[in-house]
Amino acid sequence: MKRKSNITSLVGSRRLLATQAANQVVLNVPETKVTTLENGLRVASEDSGLSTCTVGLWIDAGSRYENERNNGTAHFLEHMAFKGTRKRSQLDLELEIENMGAHLNAYTSREQTVYYAKAFSKDLPRGTTLNYLEMLSEIERERGVILREMQEVETNLQEVVFDYLHATAYQATALGRTILGPTQNIKSINRGDLVEYITTHYKGPRIVLAAAGGVSHSELIDLAKYHFGNLPAKYKGEAPSFPLCNFTGSEIRVRDDKMPLAHIAVAVEAVGWSHPDTIPLMVANTLIGNWDRSFGGGVVSLFAVRVPSNAGSPSGVDSSSYSPFVALCQNLSSKLAQMACQGNLCHSFQSFNTCYTDTGLWGLYMVCEPGTINEMMHFTQLEWMSLCTSVTEGEVARAKNLLKTNMLLHLDGSTPICEDIGRQMLCYSRRIPLHELEARIDAIDAKTIKDVCTKYIYDKSPAIAAVGPIEQLPDYNRIRSGMYWMRT
Amino acid sequence: MQHFGTADVPKGNDSVGLIKVYVWFGIAAYRRYSSGSGYPNVSLSSPLPGIPKPVFAAVDGHEQCETKITTLENGLKVASQNKFGQFCTVGILVNSGSRHETKYPSGIAHFLEKLAFSSTAQYGSKDEILLTLEKHGGICDCQTSRDTTMYAVSAEVKGLDTVVSLLSDAVLQPRLLDEEIEMTRMAVRFELEDLNMRPDPEPLLTEMIHAAAYRGNTVGLPRFCPVDNVEKIDKTLLHTYLRSYYCPERMVLAGVGIEHEQLVACARKYLLDVKPVWGAGTPANVDLSVAQYTGGMVKMDKDMSDVSLGPTPIPELTHIMIGLESCSFLEDEFIPFAVLNMMMGGGGSFSAGGPGKGMFTRLYLNVLNRHHWMYNATSYHHSYEDSGLLCIHASADPRQVREMVEIITREFIQMAGTAGEMELERAKTQLKSMLMMNLESRPVIFEDVGRQVLATGKRKLPHQLCDLISNVTGSDIKRVSTKMLRSKPAVAALGDLRQMPSYEHIQAALSSKDGRLPRMYRLFR
Repeated sequence: MKRKSNITSLVGSRRLLATQAANQVVLNVPETKVTTLENGLRVASEDSGLSTCTVGLWIDAGSRYENERNNGTAHFLEHMAFKGTRKRSQLDLELEIENMGAHLNAYTSREQTVYYAKAFSKDLPRGTTLNYLEMLSEIERERGVILREMQEVETNLQEVVFDYLHATAYQATALGRTILGPTQNIKSINRGDLVEYITTHYKGPRIVLAAAGGVSHSELIDLAKYHFGNLPAKYKGEAPSFPLCNFTGSEIRVRDDKMPLAHIAVAVEAVGWSHPDTIPLMVANTLIGNWDRSFGGGVVSLFAVRVPSNAGSPSGVDSSSYSPFVALCQNLSSKLAQMACQGNLCHSFQSFNTCYTDTGLWGLYMVCEPGTINEMMHFTQLEWMSLCTSVTEGEVARAKNLLKTNMLLHLDGSTPICEDIGRQMLCYSRRIPLHELEARIDAIDAKTIKDVCTKYIYDKSPAIAAVGPIEQLPDYNRIRSGMYWMRT
Repeated sequence: MQHFGTADVPKGNDSVGLIKVYVWFGIAAYRRYSSGSGYPNVSLSSPLPGIPKPVFAAVDGHEQCETKITTLENGLKVASQNKFGQFCTVGILVNSGSRHETKYPSGIAHFLEKLAFSSTAQYGSKDEILLTLEKHGGICDCQTSRDTTMYAVSAEVKGLDTVVSLLSDAVLQPRLLDEEIEMTRMAVRFELEDLNMRPDPEPLLTEMIHAAAYRGNTVGLPRFCPVDNVEKIDKTLLHTYLRSYYCPERMVLAGVGIEHEQLVACARKYLLDVKPVWGAGTPANVDLSVAQYTGGMVKMDKDMSDVSLGPTPIPELTHIMIGLESCSFLEDEFIPFAVLNMMMGGGGSFSAGGPGKGMFTRLYLNVLNRHHWMYNATSYHHSYEDSGLLCIHASADPRQVREMVEIITREFIQMAGTAGEMELERAKTQLKSMLMMNLESRPVIFEDVGRQVLATGKRKLPHQLCDLISNVTGSDIKRVSTKMLRSKPAVAALGDLRQMPSYEHIQAALSSKDGRLPRMYRLFR
């Protein structure tokens, strides 16, 4: 391979190679270059020489920074992104993007707002010309679009259940609110709210310009300076405080016997993005795995990697967690999958670990026939307890391998890589090199899993959200009593 | 164990300085509280102490873009494409799919897809296969379409030998145990059930329009196993089928991200002189029929008034798909048809995504933007080695079906009109960008290499395809559209069909000048 031979010559410094050879590892991926502008905005990119690229703004601002009155503003703002500016009409902008074969997309999660473009590398300069302070025309038309989107989200039961899960787990806090906001807010949000949100949150240090594919880092820096160089770095008065969000073990049940299937999510409080225990929890998450009955015995879906161009889910449930790529994997080594398969206990289940800055939700989402809820719940908790007490080295080793595989295979194509860069820069203020991530996973053994799972799962009060024909779902206290084992 | 969560929370007022301070203090704080167990208690925001320094790869301008192809003595082709990264995608493509089931009960390909990577001569169970792959950071998958079955593995490059050996075993030596076949029957039934329950009708409509366009032959045969056949398919039947179709001349071993010589060496080792478990091949029994485009209509009256799985209702819709014969992907006209399909574009009246999703395609401009009562108008192009189908899917309230059909037939007639220079250029650019963006990812390159080599014995490279796209002119579009409009329409309709025009009327509309349905004079309306 021609490229491989270039790797060592690039290092240049022979002396370094000679003296530190033992302490180096060769990665066949390009470096992520990071530069901080004067106003604190960070530019991060990985150039893999493709003829296409993805470039975008990752902003540390989402629905978490809203209050009851302006809940929905961050998402409203996302909708205003591609509506043209004072200099250019919306039509001109749309035509220009479509004529160059580019794609613009955006999504809002509870903690992040993301705007990105995919384009031919030669069009990179034209892809970054969004100006967020000038795009506030057409507010009225967008209201209707958002209300329509709300209807769309409401037909997606997984999104409905996860909104309920947040509403109960983070009740009376900012994370408990939905990303879209209540209908009355969508109807009343005005230009002033949007401007206020931008001036409060769109500050240099909270923004990352990320790019991957065929991108030149120096060109990107110039573009960043030109377009975003005059964004403010500091606050004039008091800086807004970071809202604390406490977890409450509790439940929401929405019984509807007309629905054919029950949709249930159960979760305990886990940890934030950068907490060291995140990685063991992700291994535990992989151990429980995902399953869908139409896969039968279950095989990993390699071709599911083909993410559609509009992958950013409307309310950002996916983008806020590692689930997008964990979802690619059908884990047959999962005992729960074997039981679900043999006993025909559910239509599908999905283990998740959704992270926020300082907290997270670790749990399971299941879709069941009304008559199997009780049993499915029982086996789920059985598996959780065995994670805390008796998980074997063999099981952990497999889950570790699978997690590494999924992480590496996910980083294929400029958009997933760009997403990874943007998110990591916001969450960790750096891009974790692959070999470090691998080293962190390698350091985990069965004892780590037992310790960490005991710490977050064992004898903890879960949050539960259930929608549909859920008569059979055990009452809260019975589920709570399944969170520990009386054994001697 | 200590709780460290609070130490590294970046507060909302972070300036650059603050972030740096946090990171800096982070290490010290964690060291201080380290619990001493094996797992490092270091925030993900700080590098692990003692981690080796990475040496990154550099891009030297151009990707090595040549696709290398070797044909082995037994007729099996080996094709490879090198690419950046520590992972490769390798797999076997077989010229076998539902179109080859003429003399068999339909559903064999569907069964084989579900049975793939089950126990083999070497491996006692699917779990053993997965375990072996996991050691090389690999995952596997099988997908079948109307004309091709793909078995693929993505894994670390250094595991190549094991991967090819495993692939060979999975394809040529499956045990097909009774319990595995029983499991597959269940999975197939579940999938059929889900297919009918899903609010998205696209897979069902695609199935129906193929049945209408190629009645009872080749690509018109069902892609999903009909419920009645689930019990009929067993090991003996599968072996008879495999004996005819799974022979080396009908296979390609394709790989992305590996050295060609290495792949060829593995192929020689594991795919040459290997006797499959079903014994000697009987290639004489291969069905060589060429797709016969018949046209026609397939209707399914279905109550779609309550398709929502939840409490929020989904409006009742009737779905139609109208198609005409385009061309095979081997013909030169394939490229103009692909451009035409892009120019028609379309999508849902409400869909995620910003500019770039085709907002200026004809089905948006002429259909969805003008008729707000329509929920969907999307163009699809299905192309095979001997024929092809260009079709438009549309959906609306059952009471407006007739109007909707006419809007679509008029769009078909207008395809043969003059294409605007702007819209043609845009469609060409969008087709090129879609091609290049899809080819960013390994599994897509794998599929592209494999399918092209399987069908033609060689591969047109992305830049060659881009050149061909650039050369398409307005008169090419006009020529292929005019020719297409001479074919008989294929129609699929799903939902409440009381307002559905007759096949003859649709045919009349598509052979008229303006695409209008014949006027109906009814005494009572």
